[in-house]
Amino acid sequence: MGSLVQVLTNGILLGSMYGIAAIGLSLIFGTMRIIFIAQGTMIVLFAYLVYWSFQKAGIDPYLSLLTVVPLAFVLGLGLFYLLFRKAAALEDRNVSLLLAVGLMYLIDNLILKAWSATPRGLNISYSSAMIVVWGLRVSWLRLALLGLALASAFVVYAFLKKTRVGTAVRAASEDMEATTIQGINSVWVSAISFAIGIALAGVAGVGMATVYSFDYQFGFVFAIKALVALALGGIGNVFGALAGGLLLGIIENLAAYYVGIAWIEIASYGVFMLVLIFLPQGLFGRRALVKKV
Amino acid sequence: MANQLLEVKELSVAYGDVQALWDVSLEVEEGSIVALVGANGAGKTTLLKSISGLLHPITGHILFEGEDLVHLNTKHRVDKGIVMVPEGRRLFQSLTVLENLRLGAYLPKARADYDDSLERVFALFPVLKDRMNGKAGLMSGGEQQMLAIGRAVMARPRLVMIDEASLGLSPILTRTIFDLIVALNVQGTTVLLVEQNIHMALKICSKAYVMKTGHMVLSGTGGELLANDDVRKAYVGERGSRL
Ligand SMILES: Nc1ncnc2c1ncn2[C@@H]1O[C@H](COP(=O)(O)OP(=O)(O)OP(=O)(O)O)[C@@H](O)[C@H]1O
Ligand SMILES: [Mg+2]
Repeated sequence: MGSLVQVLTNGILLGSMYGIAAIGLSLIFGTMRIIFIAQGTMIVLFAYLVYWSFQKAGIDPYLSLLTVVPLAFVLGLGLFYLLFRKAAALEDRNVSLLLAVGLMYLIDNLILKAWSATPRGLNISYSSAMIVVWGLRVSWLRLALLGLALASAFVVYAFLKKTRVGTAVRAASEDMEATTIQGINSVWVSAISFAIGIALAGVAGVGMATVYSFDYQFGFVFAIKALVALALGGIGNVFGALAGGLLLGIIENLAAYYVGIAWIEIASYGVFMLVLIFLPQGLFGRRALVKKV
Repeated sequence: MANQLLEVKELSVAYGDVQALWDVSLEVEEGSIVALVGANGAGKTTLLKSISGLLHPITGHILFEGEDLVHLNTKHRVDKGIVMVPEGRRLFQSLTVLENLRLGAYLPKARADYDDSLERVFALFPVLKDRMNGKAGLMSGGEQQMLAIGRAVMARPRLVMIDEASLGLSPILTRTIFDLIVALNVQGTTVLLVEQNIHMALKICSKAYVMKTGHMVLSGTGGELLANDDVRKAYVGERGSRL
């Protein structure tokens, strides 16, 4: 029993990473109507930046949140205007999707060039620090992931609900043309929500740097996991996406614990298929991931 | 010549290779209600969207207070006071009534008058005040149409273009909506009204235009068109049962 709770706890903590990534996917999907498949690669890129600034300058990963997240936001704005602006205006979503695929492989290979194929991981002084609560052993770094995920979800939620631009983002996710009719610059609104999605990749990159071992190919796998989380949680709801991530973490850890490590991937993709077929809206979503164009 | 707020001059518009408007001209006098009628597919919505800047003409001009708008985007046209209530209302269903209204007053000029505008909208449509915090999508059709018009009013429009306000509404609600449009006009807003309910539209307008398959075919005062045999046969008669 104690170990089941331990498994669940680990699942939630690791699932936090999927949650952050899924919130980003959800935001970007809202206005661009594509699964931004390069999200995982962006996360890996930021993980490398965190890793690199730690190795070169000894900057604590959590301190680098202060630089990486704003950098990611600005990079997101730049990418949107450079790559996606025109494609986002087209009826056919395939162009945007292909651009995202191209971007993913481009960055993967830039990472390979810059940092080689050797997997990286950080070894920080507090890497192995644990706390014990009610007999549960929890690593600080993993607990911090949950903190990052909750903070991200609350910030994005507050942005969407409480700010003018956030309200416009929700409006644009529902009806882009009607948003334009209000005199709102919907290109800018899309750019902002894309940039916040990339900023979240920055947050997740910090998390990834602290607990994962990663290499240049890890991004795609991670993006697919985030997609599974999003399908589970459902589109159009920040906390739903987060919950989907936590749930996926739990499912993976249960599979690993009860049937073996090799079953992790089988369990996640099995659940993915089941959800798409039987629960296309996800658990908490407003709209179906697969139906809505 | 009267003071024209809007002048559309020989406008031609196409969707890709398919032309939808041919040399369409129209004038809207400041302070008036102008009706635009015509069968399904005549090009009424296309014309309104072109005036809003959602569609870009191949040739022709759109003058607002004498200034050519053709190169301005929708945002700048809304800022000048040209606001559309789109066909099908196009409310943000999952947002609250108040959030919808707030989005109507998004631009800085309109935002500066937000409190006044809100009061004005609530005075015109008291039901919106009661349902302020409810989701727009949960309201009845009539209430949704009021919200769609209210959202446009929040932008402080000089010219409001209403596309098929009465679509799907009961005769009583249609009458209510028409009364509200007249009230809005009396308050000083110029109105360009696209309507299927031709009889009522012709009654409240000072001038009307008839479109047919992408062409402007007829214009006159509402009374003249009501008395015109062709118009009656083509449009009023067949819908008479709904009036
Ligand atoms: N998005 C589009 N792409 C291609 N053709 C279109 C598009 N929208 C409208 N059309 C065509 O343009 C013409 C005019 O359509 P429009 O919607 O302006 O007519 P309307 O007068 O508003 O009709 P309704 O009374 O049905 O609303 C029609 O032939 C229509 O098929
Ligand atoms: Mg129409």
